[in-house]
Amino acid sequence: MIHDSIIRERLVTGDKTAADVTRDISRPILNRPSNAWKIGFTLSVIFLAIFVISLGYTLMTGIGVWNINKSVMWGWDITNFVFWVGIGHAGTLISAVLLLFRQKWRMSINRSAEAMTIFAVVCAAMFPVFHMGRVWVGYWALPLPNAFGSLWTNFNSPLLWDVFAISTYFSVSLLFWYIGLIPDIATIRDKVKTKAAKYWYTFFAMGWTGSTRSWARYELVSLILAGLSTPLVLSVHTIVSTDFATSVIPGWHTTIFPPYFVAGAIFSGFGMVATLLVVARKVMNYENYITIGHLDAMTKIIMVTGSIVGIAYLTEFFIAWYSGVEYEQYAFINRAFGPYWWAYWSMMSCNLIAPQVFWFRWARTTPWFVFIMSIFVNVGMWFERFVIIVTSLHRDYLPSSWVMYSGSLTEIGLFLGTFGIFFTLFFLFAKYLPVINMAEVKSILRNRE
Amino acid sequence: MGILDKKLSLRNRNKMIVGVWEDEDALMDATSEISHKGIAIHDIYTPYPVHGLDRIIGVKRSKLARVAFFCGLTGLILMTTMIYYMYVIDWPINVGNKPVRFTPSWIPVMFEGMVLCTAYGMGFFFFWRNRMLFGVKNDLLDERQTDDRMVMAVELSDSINEQDLISTMKNKGAVEVREFHHGVQTVI
Repeated sequence: MIHDSIIRERLVTGDKTAADVTRDISRPILNRPSNAWKIGFTLSVIFLAIFVISLGYTLMTGIGVWNINKSVMWGWDITNFVFWVGIGHAGTLISAVLLLFRQKWRMSINRSAEAMTIFAVVCAAMFPVFHMGRVWVGYWALPLPNAFGSLWTNFNSPLLWDVFAISTYFSVSLLFWYIGLIPDIATIRDKVKTKAAKYWYTFFAMGWTGSTRSWARYELVSLILAGLSTPLVLSVHTIVSTDFATSVIPGWHTTIFPPYFVAGAIFSGFGMVATLLVVARKVMNYENYITIGHLDAMTKIIMVTGSIVGIAYLTEFFIAWYSGVEYEQYAFINRAFGPYWWAYWSMMSCNLIAPQVFWFRWARTTPWFVFIMSIFVNVGMWFERFVIIVTSLHRDYLPSSWVMYSGSLTEIGLFLGTFGIFFTLFFLFAKYLPVINMAEVKSILRNRE
Repeated sequence: MGILDKKLSLRNRNKMIVGVWEDEDALMDATSEISHKGIAIHDIYTPYPVHGLDRIIGVKRSKLARVAFFCGLTGLILMTTMIYYMYVIDWPINVGNKPVRFTPSWIPVMFEGMVLCTAYGMGFFFFWRNRMLFGVKNDLLDERQTDDRMVMAVELSDSINEQDLISTMKNKGAVEVREFHHGVQTVI
């Protein structure tokens, strides 16, 4: 027997009916774009232009326009790569892991988080691809038959694992997102008036009618995809961490990296989800769908994963001392008290100390405060990758090779430019596709147990 | 059976009785009652998944899970074979004089290949079973069936008492009952 819950707080407030959900969520798609959208989109396109200019300059002149040097061969580029891949992880966590745990609050935020995953992976892929230098021979990273005496790719290398992991992650996330979108595209298809819009939404709705048989298969396919995506998302950042951990560089050569990177990825991803959704719920009037309860739940995850990451930072220090390896010990002392001390302490304060404020209910349930804290998380997690990469590389075994590194204007332009890619895609998504999963939200309106 | 088989189109079916509901609980009651009378329900169209309806109208459990397993197995075998061919047969690389054979470093690529094949194999099977393809025209019985209305379609046959079916639908909360014949709907 099914009952309406009298104990649990409603996931969607404002006594919405199914028709209200359709009307509210499809409003931005059916109406002309708002001024807020136009301003946001224009700004994003400006940043996109910065990306195009920086990339054009890099391609025309060569990788030398970046400040990476003989010891610091990975700089802003791989920092940005790991930063963006990490951000993508929250989308999969929300849509897959929380689905397996039957967390219904995910339903209002899974669509935008999945979109974020896809756009973030696009941004991430830019960096290793263009760091290759001769990007036009990038296909050499794939195991293709070739004319070099059948010299295949190196399957022992984590960098090759990354090629497979990131491309699989992108493809599977895209499929998961698209299958989830189909019922909502069909809803929009039956609402739009113009001929062109009707054609395109009909094209992508693939003839969806909402039949019971289709829904049964849809739910099963979602469940299996969630079951697949969960180990996939863990594998992706584990593999990213092995890019570092399998090397013999002090500060990188640690077995703690895989769980530490995965926790960090979820932490940074939720930071970005919070940044986006706090703004979106206000600007798009979705306060009844993305409620204070959602912010509360997300900030709890931020606090837990932030604490896990914090423990990992401290464990690294402890193990460096406990190992008795002086190179390892120097790498960590140099991180905290060397020339990049400011980056280390920015990371510590943003990732370990700042999220502890979420022990207080007020902090978790005040949107403007959550927004500010989410920016701290984003900044802190960028610094984490910068610290791991740059402080480990700039001083290793040979003091005569010690160097300093700072990003060039082109590198900074590329990083800012990826925000242009990300937000341009996100604004287009917010205009042409439903930001909230209408079909799933309709199924939780009654607060059933 | 082709994905665009015209026989499947609702227009080419016998006369149908179409009931429209706006409340999920009333629809569940009506579905149970009509099924208990031994009437085969052609399908029910809802804007969101209503749990339990599939079992009442006798939808069999989908074979998707099995398909997923076999796609995964295919992906795993493909990737293992590929690496074995490239690494052991075609161009063995001597790394520190270690024997050229399976090593755990193959596992990440094998795993990713397996996941990719499972996801896409199952995705294509899902589209095929639902007769879905880019650009397929939809067969809607009610314009609001993807918005807030739930629609039940019963295909008439000699064994079904039409009047009894219509009155059951109306008694069980249908906001509208229609007759559907060759693509034309008439409100009863």
